[in-house]
This record gives sequence, C-alpha cells and structure tokens, in this order.
Amino acid sequence: MSDKKQQVSRRQFLNYTLTGVGGFMAAGLLVSPLRMAIDPVLKESSSGDLVNVGLSVDDITSEPQRVDWTVEQVDGWYESEPSRSAWVFKNDNGDIVALSPICTHLGCVVSWEGSEDYPNQFFCPCHDGRYEKDGTNVPGTPPLAPLPYYEHEVRDGILFLGNPISREGA
Amino acid sequence: MKWRSKDLKQYLQAKEYIDTIMVPLVPFHLSNEQDMEKDSFRNEVLTVFSNEMEKELSGRMMLMPVYNYIKSTDMNVEKDRLNDWVEDIKVQPFKHIFFITFDSKWRKLEQELDGTLIWLPTVQTGDILSKELQSMIREQVKEITEFIRSYW
Ligand code: FES
Repeated sequence: MSDKKQQVSRRQFLNYTLTGVGGFMAAGLLVSPLRMAIDPVLKESSSGDLVNVGLSVDDITSEPQRVDWTVEQVDGWYESEPSRSAWVFKNDNGDIVALSPICTHLGCVVSWEGSEDYPNQFFCPCHDGRYEKDGTNVPGTPPLAPLPYYEHEVRDGILFLGNPISREGA
Repeated sequence: MKWRSKDLKQYLQAKEYIDTIMVPLVPFHLSNEQDMEKDSFRNEVLTVFSNEMEKELSGRMMLMPVYNYIKSTDMNVEKDRLNDWVEDIKVQPFKHIFFITFDSKWRKLEQELDGTLIWLPTVQTGDILSKELQSMIREQVKEITEFIRSYW
C-alpha cells in the first residue's frame, strides 16, 4: 500500500518538475529577445567589430576577387553561420569596395563574370540575376536591390571588414 | 534554404523559384569500432559540405534533413524508404532531386533512385578545421555547383 502511494507521489513529483522546466523554458524564450536588446554581452559579437580578412591592400586590384573569412559568434548553442564572403576591388577612383555576394533576390551567391554572356557584371547562377560592377542591380533581372556593401577599414595595410549594409533598390 | 520555419515561410511565397532539393545520405553505426572514427568524420565533412552548397544556391535549392540509416542495413529497404521521401517532396513542384553521399553502396542502386546521386570520393580523416580540408571542400562545392547548374 505505502509502496503504491509512494510511486504515485514520485510520478507526481516528476510531473511537477517537468512542467516546471517547461514553464521555465517558455519564460526564457519570451524574455530572451528583450535581454538581447539590453544586455551588451548577449548581443551578436559581430556588430560593429571589424575583422581582419587576410588580404593586403596592395593585392587589391580593379578586378573583383572573392575573399572568405569567418566571424566568431557568441550565440554558441544555436547553429551560427560563421563564414562570410565578399567581392573586393578598387573602383575607378581608387577606393576600395567590398560587396556582399548574397543575391538580393533569394540569397544565392553571385560571381564576378559568372556568366560568359555578361562580362563586367556580377551574375547569380540561380535565376540569372545581374549586377553592375558597383553592385547596382540590372533592371529586368530578378533582384530588386543592389548588393549590400561591407563597411571597411584599412589598418597597417590590411583590409578589415565589418557588417554588410543594405542599399535601396534601383 | 533549409527545412526550418523561417526558410519555409519564404519558400511558400516564392515557390516558383525554388525547384531543387538536396538530401544528404549518411550511414550511422556504433557497432564497428574500426570504422567508427572514419564514418563519423565523413558525417562531419558532409555536414559542412551540404551547408556550403546550401549557402551557394540557397535561393533555388532546399537542403533536406539528413537521411540516416544503419550502416549494415539492407540497402533495398533504404532505397524504398528514400523514394518515399521523394514522393512526399514531389507533392510540391520540385523538379530536381539530388542525393549527396560518401557511401559508395548507393551507386549500385543509382538507377532505382528517384533522383540524381552525387557520390563524393573518400576523404581521409583529419582536422575538420584544417586549411587544406576547407579549401578542398570549397573546390568541391564549386564543382558540384556547376554540376547542379547543368540540370537547370
Ligand atoms: S537568387 Fe539570385 S536571381 Fe534569384
């Protein structure tokens, strides 16, 4: 008798704890966006931080080249996407330009002169989206906005890139 | 895109643009100690690989959850199960289905699969973060991207 009673209460106990944990997790989910907003430690580490992408300024030419690098993410438990890419070149004024390769249509990766039919343009393999060298989307192709550009800085002759910045559609 | 809510929301709004599916095929076991390390390493590499592929072509290709199976299984049964997956996928207007794997056993069943098999040759065990492996993966990603584009 007492044995049975004990089992029931143990099950009840487990039930309570499980609901307790579940409730706690739900509360956590509700709270976290707010905490993200106010607690600087929890903010994405990449915001504002410029990262050495391993490219010397002397190696940047007028021909766009692809650089890949990784950013460290604090949000360790959730699958982060630490690898980033950019197309880097010097424009006609000699200024460094770093464009995001992410197509503004649906997000495929564009290539410089990715299609033989369109020299001097970025080409998206997915739905033939095209962009001028400065990243402006070519009207009549699927993308409705230019390629974002990265904020950049040169330190000791080395290129540092930050976050991509979106631009208004052409 | 991947099989996650934020991507599927986008999918439902832009269905006509996303016509390609990729399913990674990964054998699993803990029974053969000799092969354990090797097989789990391949799993790691394939994960990186399929994620990179997904990134390159995310506007047109959806990466499915991994299809896992016991390594010593009857492959004919797995083939049928896998074709069941495809049948379900094809309820949506997908035109191209690709399976990607390190497991050479699928090659014998290639004809009976309801999709295109991309078989990757073996990788040696090593450090998943090593520069060599990363550049090897990048090279392969480029090649497979070209391959998939040839179907579009
Ligand atoms: S994703 Fe680039 S054109 Fe559609």
